[in-house]
Amino acid sequence: MIEIRDLKKTFGTHMAVDGISLSIKKGSVFGILGPNGAGKTTMMKVIVGLDRPTSGSVRIDGRDPAVRQTRESIGFMPESPSFYDHLTGLEFLTFCGSLFHTQAMKHHEYLDLLKRVGIFEAKDAPICTYSKGMRQRLAFAQAIVNDPAYLFLDEPLDGLDPIGRRELKSIITALQKKGTTIVFNSHILFDTEELCDEIGILHHGSLLYSGPIEAFTKGQPLEERFVSVIQHLS
Amino acid sequence: MPASLHTILVVAKNTFRETIRNKVLYAILAFAAVYMLFTLFLGSISLGEDLHVIRSLGLAGMYIFGLIITIFLGSSLLYKELERRTLYFVLSKPISRAHLVLGKFLGLLSSVAVCLAGMTVLYLLMVAFKGGGFDSSAILAVFYQLLEMSLLIALTIFFSTFSMPLLSTLYAVLVVYIGHSLDLLMQAVQGASAPVRFFVQLLHYVLPNLAKFDIRSAIIYDASVPLSQALLVVAYAAMYVGLLLCVAVFLFEKREI
Repeated sequence: MIEIRDLKKTFGTHMAVDGISLSIKKGSVFGILGPNGAGKTTMMKVIVGLDRPTSGSVRIDGRDPAVRQTRESIGFMPESPSFYDHLTGLEFLTFCGSLFHTQAMKHHEYLDLLKRVGIFEAKDAPICTYSKGMRQRLAFAQAIVNDPAYLFLDEPLDGLDPIGRRELKSIITALQKKGTTIVFNSHILFDTEELCDEIGILHHGSLLYSGPIEAFTKGQPLEERFVSVIQHLS
Repeated sequence: MPASLHTILVVAKNTFRETIRNKVLYAILAFAAVYMLFTLFLGSISLGEDLHVIRSLGLAGMYIFGLIITIFLGSSLLYKELERRTLYFVLSKPISRAHLVLGKFLGLLSSVAVCLAGMTVLYLLMVAFKGGGFDSSAILAVFYQLLEMSLLIALTIFFSTFSMPLLSTLYAVLVVYIGHSLDLLMQAVQGASAPVRFFVQLLHYVLPNLAKFDIRSAIIYDASVPLSQALLVVAYAAMYVGLLLCVAVFLFEKREI
């Protein structure tokens, strides 16, 4: 379970995350929605331990994500990922996998993972030759290289073609069935509606809503309801 | 193997791969090779002093090109990761920032060592070709040089925790220049006013005295280098590297990414 209590993150005088409290159930798929600059990425960076909160706390299974051991069970895919361009896809994935101690993969498992995300053919090509969609797939692969119990995805479907989106969504669904807790930020509300059990809506760093999609949409399409709520506040 | 050491070595291996495949590095090495071969020509027009010229210019060339490689690769090492956010991949894994800094240091040191080894082989072949036999003493000079480069790598990593690559390069070049002139500076200010002497003394204590790593002249003139001196220089380099990396880790820990 992920427990976020009165989380605040400021950058100078700017309050990026403003007192968010939230619980995300184990095994659920939770979507964080919000307009640009709402604080989604900042909140995710704090949850995975990349940034420290200004105040408040985050606990994953009762443990602080700033502690290294907690991150053994976390997978994170950043938004618009940037890579070590001189490495090949396989080398990069092996590097990421080798940073884990308890779930280190064998060579053939890395190859299987590259097959699973659809970039096996390009495994020995330098990453600088990859298209945006291939980079997105590689970033997804490194996020699940440790078979994480908690997977955090920041705009995972951004830049993917329809086939790529469908493939990644099917992997996300398979992970959910396996019991992985998945938290993701997305601007693509159609995908969010399709994948998520629950959503959280952020606006100017504050949490407007948290709970099941149906309770928020009240029979309307998610996109329509989301836009009307945000426009009403702006 | 302890988990921490394993993590550091994984980062070091990755850094080595990433830096050794940098195309600019090969351009610098090609330039170094051309320069080294050119010393053969310079030796041939030096009226019987060809071996002396080759040894002197060869060791100096290895130092200059080693320095260029070290500063070029070191000054952008951490900054590039921060700027391009590749650190998000690494630091979301079970790794501390201290492990990352140490891994980066070891990885770049390995790359610089491989480049120096390549240049040393070329140098040794040239000296042997000119009838100088196996110049084993040059290996000691290169070892001293590697110690200096390790210190400079730590220095550039320290600078890159808070400044842009261009500024890090500038700071590093300044430290190299002053670091090799500290003894001369101390002599020059002996008759100067108290504030000037205090300032130079401060520099002398704070900045690394890089002249300690320069035994090229001694090697060229076949003077012996006592073992006790070598051990002191190793300890001096280790102390400075340790100190710089500790401060770099401290600053890096404080930094928002």
